[in-house]
Amino acid sequence: MSRITAGLVVWGLGLALALGLPGSVWRQAAPPGFPWAAVGPTILAVGTLSLLAPLVAWRGGPGLASRRSLALLEAPPDLLWAGLLLALWPAAWGPPGLGGWLVAFLVAALPGEARWLAQAMPAEHPFPQAWGRAAVNRVRWLVLLRLWGRWTTARLPVWLTATLVLERILGVPGLGTDWMTRVAVRDRAGLAGWILALALLWLLSHRLDREVA
Amino acid sequence: MRWRLAFLGGLLLPDLALDPFQGGLAATLRHPLGTDDLGRDAFLRLLLASARSLGFASACALLALTVGLLLAWRGRRLVGVWSALRSLPPLLFLLPLAAALDGLPALPLGLLLGLLIAPHLEPPMRARLEGFRHSPAWAAERTLGAPWPSILHRWSPWAWQQAVALFPSAWLAALWGEATLSALGLGPGPGQDSLGRLLAEELPRLGSDPSPLGWAALAAVLALAWTSTPGRRPQGAA
Repeated sequence: MSRITAGLVVWGLGLALALGLPGSVWRQAAPPGFPWAAVGPTILAVGTLSLLAPLVAWRGGPGLASRRSLALLEAPPDLLWAGLLLALWPAAWGPPGLGGWLVAFLVAALPGEARWLAQAMPAEHPFPQAWGRAAVNRVRWLVLLRLWGRWTTARLPVWLTATLVLERILGVPGLGTDWMTRVAVRDRAGLAGWILALALLWLLSHRLDREVA
Repeated sequence: MRWRLAFLGGLLLPDLALDPFQGGLAATLRHPLGTDDLGRDAFLRLLLASARSLGFASACALLALTVGLLLAWRGRRLVGVWSALRSLPPLLFLLPLAAALDGLPALPLGLLLGLLIAPHLEPPMRARLEGFRHSPAWAAERTLGAPWPSILHRWSPWAWQQAVALFPSAWLAALWGEATLSALGLGPGPGQDSLGRLLAEELPRLGSDPSPLGWAALAAVLALAWTSTPGRRPQGAA
């Protein structure tokens, strides 16, 4: 059985589990609609992250992966950033809302993503370092361009988890909360949609992985 | 690894006695962080909650390492399965499950966390074991037809040594997994005090009515994160 087939079997089982999710809610209600209002802020957050992280990795190069300062920023869990934001947010400004969520998301995810990219970059010694700064920058740019697709598809579920934790702590409804709500209200069709989307991401990251290799 | 394993003892520590008439006291020399709403010394509670969280994470990490070792050694034909399981972060699976069940008790949570972290340890573990699998030592064992108990007796310390290098990352993943679930009110019940539970109680009031215990819990999480940062974490073991 090939890797892809074995993986698809797992996703198929996940789909079957979603469609046959046991239990029912005490008071049957229509499943909630998809939170379209959260799509814009999510695209903004993911877009900013997917531009900032490669930029940081491009500036820092593969050496960034072993930098202690970045590891220290990456180490605290998402809930700590949300907690700090809640603690330091002036009460007079009202709840942190989407702006606070965006800041917490970027602070929580950026160091880890920059390090992920830096770790995946090839060593630069002796070449292209010997060819000068311009060559180094050019090679980094090309590498990041090849990595970008694989990186975003592989990391989207991790970002979804981060946003779910932040949404719950900061009280902002979003895509992460939607995934959780569909389990709570036993919306089997909606949950199956989520599983299919995650399976598609996995499949895509595998195909891109093979292309890069 | 040893200092982390020492905290397994924290799981056996008794609860602090409640004294509601002494609740909400300010910080004094006798109670350096004051007392919580139920009259427990906040400093002692922070120490106890931290010890239990660390012990819980150590137990989960041990389970994850053992399962990860088995997957890396025996599950080579199913790498696609482990890859698919890895693509779903443990918390993305655990959070809705815990919400649907109104919280997860300590034992099922520990088992699930350990089992969900294990696939993330499989690739680095496989990379470590692959060299041995192709070595003359392993070929000799197979050629001579040594019985499994003697092979295990000879090689399991070495295999465990390989696994131990991955212990800190598994430990951190388990620690933050439990803390996040508990901080969101979806972890073990009040019987299992932990850092996450402290945060669940203190986070909502940090902005308006902060207590020394809330700040101390945040500082403890930050200190733990910074002191336990492994040099290189296996990718995806978030």
